[in-house]
Formats: sequence, structure tokens, C-alpha cells
Amino acid sequence: MRRQLLEILACPVCKGGLELKAEEEDEHEVLEGALFCGRCRHEYRITEGIPDLLPPLRRCQ
Amino acid sequence: MQGERLKKSVRDRYGRIAQTEGSCCGSTPGCYSGIDQARDVARKNGYSDEDLNALPDRVNLGLGCGNPVALASLREGETVLDLGSGPGFDCLLAARRVGARGHVIGVDMTPEMVFRAREHAEEAEITNVEFRLGEIEHLPVADSSVDVIISNCVINLAIDKGQVFREAFRVLKPGGRLLISDIVLLSPLPECVRGSVDAYTGCISGAMLKQDFVDAVKKAGFQHVEIRKEVPFSLEYVISDPSTSSPVTRRILTEDGIGGTEKSIASIHLFGRKETNS
Repeated sequence: MRRQLLEILACPVCKGGLELKAEEEDEHEVLEGALFCGRCRHEYRITEGIPDLLPPLRRCQ
Repeated sequence: MQGERLKKSVRDRYGRIAQTEGSCCGSTPGCYSGIDQARDVARKNGYSDEDLNALPDRVNLGLGCGNPVALASLREGETVLDLGSGPGFDCLLAARRVGARGHVIGVDMTPEMVFRAREHAEEAEITNVEFRLGEIEHLPVADSSVDVIISNCVINLAIDKGQVFREAFRVLKPGGRLLISDIVLLSPLPECVRGSVDAYTGCISGAMLKQDFVDAVKKAGFQHVEIRKEVPFSLEYVISDPSTSSPVTRRILTEDGIGGTEKSIASIHLFGRKETNS
């Protein structure tokens, strides 16, 4: 995922903003890392450039 | 829980389709097993040869009821969200329409589909499109952040359709447009079809009655809601679709249900707008 699209991303549960923790990126995008929701204290993984933003099974609010 | 069980069935079914590149069956007669047939379905759904030639053939799995009307209305620079983006066919066509200043985001709950969609974008060298793993009932998208929502024959698969429309309304910018196509029912289905999980994952038994669909969109807050196109949905598509090729479903649809079922299904293209003062 590209950093510039971070601002239109939101936590699927509380709809709050997400904090990007990039672990590996190329010139275009973040390939591995995580998106952290401070309100829900939940981390959504980014794998091979794709964020997994499925809601956690147990709601985290 | 019934809803979770159905959701898992949908994810499993479409995950398998993604992994087999849409060639579902091999020995099962009548189902879409090749590129030509998928192209044929797409043409009947209104996609132009120019659209089809613009992308690698394997992006088009012959799924869905088609959403070319929505694609045609996209403007350069717009941000577009595709609910249930599957292998990425509509997203890639939308990305060409909105150009380098625009963005397209596809959300799908099936990991295999999302990874394939990303591969297809790389293959087509389209860079203004991104895919996220997510649920359309719980969109991972900020409030008032997109110009257009598109969706092609997916909302019928959602367990809570009202919540999908409320989420769509939330993420659209004021003035934003909802341009979706889906399967609807013109009359209630026979009991034997309503209870079938296969018919659900094949877009039939999860479909809403047409008026209920329109009312649910309005209830979510949309205005100027109108059906811009309605076409009878041929059962041939349904029983030929890889997602409904199980022997049980075919028997239900062809032997037990055909009399009433074919006349009960239509595909619609629906428009709605989020007012600027929303």
C-alpha cells in the first residue's frame, strides 16, 4: 500500500485513523508492516503490500 | 451462528474460484470453463471489446452481472471504492478511467481474490489501484473520503445489506455517487431455493426483493435513488456460474425451481447520491 492513501484508511471497527509501521518498502509502497489502531489497541498486518483489515473476531472496542 | 456460517461459505467458495482461475469444473457440463465464455458473459453484461482488450484475459472470471454503466460515468481524478472487488476486473477498468490523478481501492474479504487482483494490476501495469482485505459491512475506509462507490453483484452476498449501505453512505464525500449493480428478486423464491447455502453463495437466495433493496439504500441516507437499468437475469448464467455448479444447486434450480425462479430474478443498475449537505 502506498503511504499517500493512508489518510483515507480507517480502522474497520472504530473508524479511527491508523498509524503505519513500515517494516519493508520499495520506492512505491509499503510491502510489509502493520497498521495500528490506537483506540482499539489492535494491529492489522500488511503482507506483500496488502493490508489485512478484516475486523478482528472479537470486537476490540 | 447462521450469519458467520454463510459468510465462511461465501469466502470458501470464491477463494476456490480465485485459485482455479475461474475454470471451475473440467468435467461438469455447462459451466464457464474458458476465456471465451467469460468474455461472452462480460459482453452480454455490456462491457465493450475495448474494455475487454485492455486487460489480461485472466482478470475476467465471468463473474457478476456487470457494471459498465458505472464505469462509463467515472471522471478523471476521482477516488473510487469497489465493494467486493474480486479478481479486480472493474477496479482495473475504473483505474484507467480516473487516470493518474485518481485512485481506485478494492475491498474484498477473500484473501485469494485480493492477492490475485494485485497480481493482475501488476501484470496490466496499472499503479493507481490498491486492494485491501476487508468486509463490506465494516469498511476500513475513512468517513467522507471517496467520490464514487461501485459494486458488481456482491451486496447480495452480504449478510447485513442495510449495514453495507450505511457504510457506503459514511465513506462517500458529500455529493458522492453510489453506482452499483446487483441481483434482485421480483417475487419471493420457492422455499427449497431460499434454504440452500449453494444458492446463497451463487447470488440467488441472498438477494433482496427489488423494492426492499431500493428502500434499504434510501434508508441509509441516499437521495435521488433510481434504478437506471433492469434486465431479466437468465438462469443459464446462474447454473453455469462456477459458484453454483454443485449438483444440488443445479437440481434445485433446473428441476424443482425453474418454473418460478427464472421469472423471479433480475439484475439492476442502481444510482444514489449523498447530498452535499449530508
